[in-house]
Amino acid sequence: MKFTKELTKGFVKDNPIFVLVLGLCPTLAVTTSVINGLGMGLAATFVLMCSNTIVSMIKNITPPKIRIPIYIVVIASFVTIVDMVMAAYLPALHKSLGLFIPLIVVNCIILGRAEAFASKNNVLMSIADGIGMGLGFTLSLVVIATVREILGAGTWLGMRVTPLSYDPMLIAILAPGAFITLGFLMALINMIKEKK
Amino acid sequence: MKYYLKLGFILLIFCAIASGVLAYINTLTAPIIAERKAREAIETRSALIPGAEFHEVQASDGSIFYEARDPETQEIMGYTFNASDLGYSSTVQTMVGVDPDFKVIAIRIVDQAETPGLGANCTSPSFTDQYKGLAIEDLYVNKDGGVIVPIAGATITSRCIANSIRKKAIEVRDEINQGGGE
Repeated sequence: MKFTKELTKGFVKDNPIFVLVLGLCPTLAVTTSVINGLGMGLAATFVLMCSNTIVSMIKNITPPKIRIPIYIVVIASFVTIVDMVMAAYLPALHKSLGLFIPLIVVNCIILGRAEAFASKNNVLMSIADGIGMGLGFTLSLVVIATVREILGAGTWLGMRVTPLSYDPMLIAILAPGAFITLGFLMALINMIKEKK
Repeated sequence: MKYYLKLGFILLIFCAIASGVLAYINTLTAPIIAERKAREAIETRSALIPGAEFHEVQASDGSIFYEARDPETQEIMGYTFNASDLGYSSTVQTMVGVDPDFKVIAIRIVDQAETPGLGANCTSPSFTDQYKGLAIEDLYVNKDGGVIVPIAGATITSRCIANSIRKKAIEVRDEINQGGGE
């Protein structure tokens, strides 16, 4: 069925990070720990789902010439909502994600999906696309964060998983570690895809 | 010309709707956020100087610090204040509790966004516990002649914390001495 296809394509086939290579800035920045990756991913999924819904609903009354500013207004509104709600109810996560929440606005996955998908498809498909892409994004963040947190801090979701004698590789948690991890994972996914 | 005005007008309508929605959500969340912040501040203060009763004092420069008194004898147990300074990549805010002789009782990092894995380790007890019992003149990192061992790879963050606490402690002490030993 088409709905399920749109829903699952973001996981591997059109994965926003490893295949479409969109939204790398937050990817590199927040994947220092699994909880940050998960929080960022779910926040972005929510924004993506809502903005896709609205963009799809207003596609017939949006003048093509000013569609980008309108999409940005829609996206920025939802990001601000997420920011305020998170600050009120999930203060700890809000603190650790900090600056990156407002930066969801410029995450190109969200504008990319609005422009490439939601503005051309009906509401139901756009929601499916939003959820699928968002979860694909979340999944990728969690995978990258898993590698970095285990190597760089010796923990996973805050729990110690390596023996105490393991001296964490600090570089994995710093910016270069993000690039290295991303590169290896991307190579791995390409390898798997080519074998198919 | 008319066409562009129309476009601008449509965009205006979209923005107006968006700001209306945001304003409404802000009225819902703002009180919760403010209340949570206030509660957090109270909890942190009581953790720094346990069992004390806090009284707000306004300094002459408009900043606020708290006097901790024994609930029964009204004897002064110490003071708490917020110190903040620019660290490596963010403003690091610390809440400090000192005894009446201005020896540090405990500190707590209340807000920071330093580099994860380096400066962000300043919240760990292995760093903050070093401050316990230090007098004002010891509040330097060891590279500057004090006793605080900076976090590995994050001297800037460590130095900023030590310096901000020292400066603020001196300010508060002067303020109290001026006030006739109050």
